[in-house]
Amino acid sequence: MIKEFAKKARAGSIDLVEHTRKAIESAQKINEEYKYITELGDAISRAQELQKSAKEGKAKGKLFGVLITAKDAICVQNLESTASSAILKGYKPLYNATVIERCLEEGAIILGKTVQDEFGFGGFCTNVGKGYSKPKNPNDKKRVCGGSSGGAAGITKKADFAHIALAESTGGSIANPASFCGVVGLTPTYGRVSRHGLISYANSLDKIGAMAKTVEDAALLLEIISGADPKDSTSASTPVPEYSEIPGTVQGIKIGVLESAVDERCDNSVRKAVLCAISKLEELGARRINIELPLNSKYALAAYYILALSEASTNLAKFCGIRYGAYDTLNGTYNDYFSRVRSDNFGDEAKRRILLGTFARMAGFRDAFYTQAAKIRTQLIKEYKEAFKKVDVIITPSMPTIAPTFEHVKKLTPLQSYLMDELTCPPNLAGLPHISIPCAEHEGLPIGLQIIGDHFCENKIIQVAKTWSQISK
Amino acid sequence: MEPDIKIGLEIHVQLNTKTKLFCSCPTSASEPNTAICPICLGHPGSKPVMNSKALEYAAKLALALGCKLAPTVTFSRKTYFYPDLPKNFQITQHELPLGRDGKIALDDKSIVGITRVHLEEDPGALIHKGNHVLIDYNRSGIPLCEIVTTPSINSPSCAREFLKKLNTIISYLDIFDPNNGVIKADANVSIKEKGFVRVEIKNITGFKEIERALTYEIERQKESEVIQETRGWSAERGITYPMRKKETEADYGYIVEPDLPVFTIAEEWIQAIQSEIPELAQERAARWEAELGIDKSDAKIIASNKRVANLFEEVAKTTDPILAARWIRREVLRVLNDKGKDIKETAFDAQHLTELINLLRDKKITNRIGQKITEKLAEKAFSPKAYVEENKLTMVGDEDELESLCKQIIQDNPKAVSDYKSGEKKSLQFLIGQVMRATKGRANAQLTRALLEKLLEN
Repeated sequence: MIKEFAKKARAGSIDLVEHTRKAIESAQKINEEYKYITELGDAISRAQELQKSAKEGKAKGKLFGVLITAKDAICVQNLESTASSAILKGYKPLYNATVIERCLEEGAIILGKTVQDEFGFGGFCTNVGKGYSKPKNPNDKKRVCGGSSGGAAGITKKADFAHIALAESTGGSIANPASFCGVVGLTPTYGRVSRHGLISYANSLDKIGAMAKTVEDAALLLEIISGADPKDSTSASTPVPEYSEIPGTVQGIKIGVLESAVDERCDNSVRKAVLCAISKLEELGARRINIELPLNSKYALAAYYILALSEASTNLAKFCGIRYGAYDTLNGTYNDYFSRVRSDNFGDEAKRRILLGTFARMAGFRDAFYTQAAKIRTQLIKEYKEAFKKVDVIITPSMPTIAPTFEHVKKLTPLQSYLMDELTCPPNLAGLPHISIPCAEHEGLPIGLQIIGDHFCENKIIQVAKTWSQISK
Repeated sequence: MEPDIKIGLEIHVQLNTKTKLFCSCPTSASEPNTAICPICLGHPGSKPVMNSKALEYAAKLALALGCKLAPTVTFSRKTYFYPDLPKNFQITQHELPLGRDGKIALDDKSIVGITRVHLEEDPGALIHKGNHVLIDYNRSGIPLCEIVTTPSINSPSCAREFLKKLNTIISYLDIFDPNNGVIKADANVSIKEKGFVRVEIKNITGFKEIERALTYEIERQKESEVIQETRGWSAERGITYPMRKKETEADYGYIVEPDLPVFTIAEEWIQAIQSEIPELAQERAARWEAELGIDKSDAKIIASNKRVANLFEEVAKTTDPILAARWIRREVLRVLNDKGKDIKETAFDAQHLTELINLLRDKKITNRIGQKITEKLAEKAFSPKAYVEENKLTMVGDEDELESLCKQIIQDNPKAVSDYKSGEKKSLQFLIGQVMRATKGRANAQLTRALLEKLLEN
């Protein structure tokens, strides 16, 4: 438990330098085998500095001495931050993302950056940028971690030291790998956490969240990084509760069960595990109410991809080999140069998404795609809002399957892999907080339970998730 | 009736906020690439933060142009690739401009409609040096206000007048610094005899240039085949030249800027901005004409410069307003023009100018002495009254004294006298000049002329 570790570290009863040294060794060893970390920070000097303050009795912070990893898209000053893309190779940010600043204020140590699908473009973490290695599932190296925050989930599962991870979700990039790797993945309401310093995928959808071994640890990280930030105009000023102190109870909680999410499209093992978990929660006093979200089931995935890719195609325009990152010898016209740098350095999925996104916002197509998708999003949010008048949380599986093998993923068409996001996309598109927690195992691989809450009702999903983690021990 | 010429303008005004539109970098810097930060360089992870002052300034201009304000402020991304554009998209306003449906009335009572007034960020600047192109991002992110007119301007001189009127409004609102920023115009122009095929001319700076460029372009269109295209204006060569053909509208793939929330415009906010808009030049001039009886052309010229106009109003309170208007228009503006200075860079002040005009009104000094004192007042403040007394500059208006002096001059200049008598009337001017010289400019000019004429009759 992170809280207890930090408490002991503040009291000086843990040798932080030693703990950190061991953590780095361990991380390096894990990395050789599993490829989770792209870049290591100077954790030792930070640990020495903290140790000194502990000796002087000046230790403070909820994360005192705790090792943090950040998804590669989250900027850390002076530490190469590329969103795992070759086009940003060598880019060392001039500043820390707000979430990094907040963790540092609480005494955290930055261990390093975790690998992801290039710019977040993927659900298996197999679309890492050119020159990056694909991370392997901590439970079975033949299987994928899930994505896009695959490195974050993998290291969270494997770490044998005090660690929590900063991850990020646009369309399911926290819940998905958390489910496939068997850790807790907490995605907050859109706007709950500042995006300042996050290399954007789709700005109206991007959410920085937490991954940890326990619900309480994920909640602790969320309470630290949440809150308004003048550097991100879309961050919300809604007060931040002490998420880590929320007790686990489901007495009187109305659980909405999305019937279409537990039908035959779902693997048998997944369906059984989730339904079983719901029954157990009912035994503890929760009330099950079956619901349907017909609009979301039908349109969320399409609307998500149109909006996300439209925004992404503009966000990626800035990477052109002039101001930072990859560059080439200057010759030809500006357009020749930009095209060359971009062709050489973006991966296939990035190129696919730029093309799709550019198409969806072209004159003549914009109204039919981009504008329409934006309108649909409003309707989909409305549908959720109606549902939350009847229920406190909605439960679905996080993913319809257990983690697939690399072999299997290779055979999927782009559309088939986009369809894997069916359960994680809707809450992400609507900006709703959701948490994925391990609820069972099948063939030794974890199955994730997804609990979705209304906007800024993180407390309720944490409360239910905590109850589950208590009874599943 | 359809006009022969249709001109529409698109004007960009750099707003004189202290900081940029979406970051806190200063808007003025001398050394290239010193006023830059991760936001205006488009670094990964940086997010724009709205400068509310820029929004206020743009709203002020929109309201002053009679526009209706949009219910919300929404920004869009306009995507195109160019090295001076750090994000390769510009944050601008697309579907919903800040202001719509405004107008400016020209002197001939014709109306130039204003389609839209919106806010956007300036790109950086490309500097061509030999074989190299350097990029200075200091300008990147400076707030620009774009004003688009309907194609309702019918001549190059009207375009010039429109720009002047717009410039006057902008200077009244104090939202633009002429020493630091530029006003740039793009013009689209088409003529009836070529079926109104539209040509766009890019990047014209200045009133004179707009008239020159349009005059040239209209002549060119009359004499050659016209295709729909974008042309540049070379001020040095005085010609427009082809830049690119415009088969279709460029596709900028606009989407809503997702990093900025949609700001709702409150009615109270509009009222607060509206209340800060001062009486503008056109109304002011009309009021002076009606209330003070100021000559129409004097009123217009004085009103067109806000600081000069303020000075005039101050002076007119305690002296003859008609004389004050005439004096300020002719003499004060002449001095400013000669010195190439703005009034705030001179020592002119209402108190001493009033004193000077009172001396003129009471015929205590001649115009000539008045002119000299005006020139000195531009340099430093002093009391004209004391100065006149000290330097014995009071007008010689005593008829007997002047008459004897005139007699003396006639006696001393027999050649001029005989020339005059043989019909060379301009010799009189010479004789008046001699009297002036003898009195060091203090002689009452009208009286001198009358006296000389009378004496030479005999």
